[in-house]
Amino acid sequence: MLKKIGAVTLIGLLTLTGCGSQTGGTNNQGGSSAGVKEVKIGALLPLSGAVAPIGETCKRGQELATEEINAAGGIKSLGGAKLVLDFADSKGDPKVGMSEAERLIMKDKVAVMTGAYQSSVTYPSTQVSEKYKIPYVVPVSVMDDITERGFKYTFRLAPKASWYSRDQVKFAKEMGEQTGSVPKRVALVYENSDWGQSSAKGWNKSVPEAGMEIVLDAPYPSSSSDLTPVILKIKQANPDLILFTSYTSDAILLTNGIAEQKINAMGMIGQGGGHADPEYLKNVGKNAEYGFDLTEWSPDLGKPGVKETNAKFKQKYGVDMNGEAAESYAAMYVIADALERAGSAEPEKIREALAKTKITSGPGMILPYDSIEFDQSGQNIHASLIMVQVNNGQRSTVWPFNAKNPDYKVVWPAPKWTDRK
Amino acid sequence: MLRRLRYPSYFLPFLFLLILGLLPFIINNEYILQVFIMFLFNAYLASGWNIISGFAGQLSLGHAAFVGIGAYTSTILFVQWGISPWIGMIFGGVIAAIFGWLIGYPVFKLRGPYYALATIAYGEIIRIFIQNTKAVGPIELKGAEGILIPFKGSSPALFQFETKAAYYYVALAMFLLVLLLSYKIKNSKMGYYLSAIGNDQDAAESLGVNTSKMKLTASAISAFVMALGGTFYAQFLLYINPQGVLSGDFSTEIAVIGIIGGEGTVFGPVLGSLILTPLSELTRIYLGGRFAGVHLLAYGLILMAVVTHIPHGVIGTFSKLYHRILLKLGDPVVSAKTGAGKTL
Amino acid sequence: MQTLIAATLNGLFMGSLYGLIAVGLSLVFGVMKIINFAHGALVMVGMYAVFYMWSLIGLDPYLSLVVVVPVLFLFGYFLQGKVINPVLKREFGRNGHAVILLTVGLTLVLQNAALLFFGAYYKAAKTFVSGMTWDMGGVVTSVPRLIAGVVGAIVILGLQLMLSKTDLGKAIRATGQDREAAGLMGINDYKIYNIAFGLCLAILGIAAALMLPMYYVQPEAGKIFEMRSFVIAVLGGIGSLSGAFYGGLIVGLIESVTAQVWSATAAEMLIFVVFIGVLLYKPSGLLGK
Repeated sequence: MLKKIGAVTLIGLLTLTGCGSQTGGTNNQGGSSAGVKEVKIGALLPLSGAVAPIGETCKRGQELATEEINAAGGIKSLGGAKLVLDFADSKGDPKVGMSEAERLIMKDKVAVMTGAYQSSVTYPSTQVSEKYKIPYVVPVSVMDDITERGFKYTFRLAPKASWYSRDQVKFAKEMGEQTGSVPKRVALVYENSDWGQSSAKGWNKSVPEAGMEIVLDAPYPSSSSDLTPVILKIKQANPDLILFTSYTSDAILLTNGIAEQKINAMGMIGQGGGHADPEYLKNVGKNAEYGFDLTEWSPDLGKPGVKETNAKFKQKYGVDMNGEAAESYAAMYVIADALERAGSAEPEKIREALAKTKITSGPGMILPYDSIEFDQSGQNIHASLIMVQVNNGQRSTVWPFNAKNPDYKVVWPAPKWTDRK
Repeated sequence: MLRRLRYPSYFLPFLFLLILGLLPFIINNEYILQVFIMFLFNAYLASGWNIISGFAGQLSLGHAAFVGIGAYTSTILFVQWGISPWIGMIFGGVIAAIFGWLIGYPVFKLRGPYYALATIAYGEIIRIFIQNTKAVGPIELKGAEGILIPFKGSSPALFQFETKAAYYYVALAMFLLVLLLSYKIKNSKMGYYLSAIGNDQDAAESLGVNTSKMKLTASAISAFVMALGGTFYAQFLLYINPQGVLSGDFSTEIAVIGIIGGEGTVFGPVLGSLILTPLSELTRIYLGGRFAGVHLLAYGLILMAVVTHIPHGVIGTFSKLYHRILLKLGDPVVSAKTGAGKTL
Repeated sequence: MQTLIAATLNGLFMGSLYGLIAVGLSLVFGVMKIINFAHGALVMVGMYAVFYMWSLIGLDPYLSLVVVVPVLFLFGYFLQGKVINPVLKREFGRNGHAVILLTVGLTLVLQNAALLFFGAYYKAAKTFVSGMTWDMGGVVTSVPRLIAGVVGAIVILGLQLMLSKTDLGKAIRATGQDREAAGLMGINDYKIYNIAFGLCLAILGIAAALMLPMYYVQPEAGKIFEMRSFVIAVLGGIGSLSGAFYGGLIVGLIESVTAQVWSATAAEMLIFVVFIGVLLYKPSGLLGK
């Protein structure tokens, strides 16, 4: 047995060394772009562990876009080179994420990186790619600091965390002004990891600024087996407005519990994550009705290509696309666009092209933004958010008012539970 | 001394050391170097854990707490007050040692599984506390968001390096030091007492061993070692967060490496890391991105197979094999001892 | 006030369910003296079993127990017999760390096999009681929780009767108290181990069926219950079934009531603080000797 183990270890080390000395399948650093047949893109995602469902959703978005790009003839300026996704599992652990980024760059020689969903993984892994001068396109992670370190190789498509907290409150205030049902008492309900805590930081600023009062500040562990205690606390606080930051299982437990306890608020507003997870609607059914979600994307967005893309996605995976999937999808088009303009698979050239990105139309533009353009810090300046409301199991865009779904009329305040069928 | 190097029992370890020392010159690939750093780091942590859990047989499943204390202490000192992590490292070690001693005081009354469960509990308490605390007075813990360490470029005085090779040498130095420490403890009176405690605490006590003092001392040393590892972790990643450095899974990982290698031996944790670090990397590389879960499934199966087929850690089988190799190479020292060997 | 009553009731119901899950751990711990780190993963296995009975055959979770309980019992019986016993035999008289390691490996295997075959997504069974509530003058209680609490308590009581009245139960207890003496009385200890582990799995099957109408299964779903079970088993005194029940109630109450007067996060921490307190003050558990 020991011999076997020894042999396995030895083979392992040899393989590692062996792989290291090869140049890998892609000669992105070779200089000559004529011979490029494929461009490797490192995709770092939480594919195992508690956040795996959302990691899987991001993966789907990336895969769909890659298939489309390749089917449409790949990167034309590179002689039709194909995009190849190289997935790595971060396990949601910063240490592993960093190590995997290192491997994708050093061993697999990827030309571009993308990922890593959780901010706590994106943060250190973008540092790795900065060091090796490999461009890193961040579709989803929202932690503000990610693009505030003066990095030159990090490009973020998504809005910052502080924008979410700001827009949730802004929307509620505008709804109050429009309908006369003005929310005053606000409950903050959020999971207690980095994401929820940075939202809370934003709310503590934006809620008082909007002239509302925080009547409940309720963080909870997202792995909770039972959230009834939190729900009862909300009931006790009797808020007009409930703001959430939740992952999937907690979003489901909270929504069902609030329905069971018949807590009536004018509005309940999530911000992507669990509330945008396709499994969420499947699992809570009617209890989600009239709930809001501040999100990056919705299937009813009035933009060309949205319907078709969503239909393709649904046919392939059986669920609607959501914000995370759409952003991951669009990020692949941003990368393809940069490759096309760079006419090279050299990371340095790709970076230059990415910095000059200005996409206003085309197949990848299914996001609500008018344009994709990165500022000096690598932040997409046009990134914006939309508000959707769930009605009859459908998510309909209601805000910003100029982008709303013309066929849908927003319901505010939400009807009391006892008045619902 | 130099004459003795002709003997395989002397030149083989020397050869290994030489290879480890020259590795960055042999392997010109930062990723492979990263794997070796992880190997050294894991071996280091498992060796630190081994001082209390192996030598004294007190299974700790909360050792990430001490790694975290080290990482947080040096990082906060550096980020908030600009104190070099090299100094912060010692502070962290001392704080962790005090902590290990204080916690040990009540917890060491517990035996066997009860002790292990208590270690899980204090590990969790510390994680939950830091995860939900923004600041204690002037000390900014930053809660779940974690603390980012600004990269100042290559500045050895601040424990920051541009190259992997530099981190590799730091890790190697720490690794060798902890081995030396383990060896000294193991072959001292203290080591003898600790292993007596591990075998049968009541018997040790009746022989006049001050068991609680011994355990507390071992616990403090172990915590000190773990905390230094924490500073390395922080400076290497330049980012720490409670879910990463303080997680229960991290604690379990450290213990698994120690147990697989062979508890209570000097080289057991090293072997554990030598097997598990590449195994975890390889399964993840070749299986990780394709089908979710396959890599950890394979890892788990191999873990189970090793536990089932190799009793008392890999070290036992390994040292037999090693002696056989030495004998084959015609080593006079080992032949004379007929395979009895020193305590590894 | 109404909220506090509702919180207390909820705490008791959830506590009874936690107690039921911890009973399995306590039983195994009491008989074999090992900490089973795969307990949470086994809860998850039970939940998937119940879920697939519902989604593939259409069996109501409560009814599916007829199939799930015997199947899980056999699974546990063979898992113990084929996988754990060999190591347990070898490690007899040693510190048992190898067995812990084995269960850590088993956890990785079970969780990731689930991830591979069933996917990462949350799965829930919709039953006739899902979402049903019972309103007593403003104190709203969820019916699945009520059922879980009551049935959980009944099952624990039944198990306790079985252990104290039947021959098998007595053999199990005897093995836990003094293995060698039990051996001398002609009890086959390893067979008892198999049965105890099978029983543990069967109990987890019942718990899974009680949980599924209100909870969701995912490869990592069992983790939190494992942590709770460690705490509860020790609180109540290892090997004591009624202790596990009371321990469960205490943890359920702390979780539910602390969140009202303080926060859910504080509750999480307080559970561990109480746990360490009990360990230090009375390691044999609140009901132990």
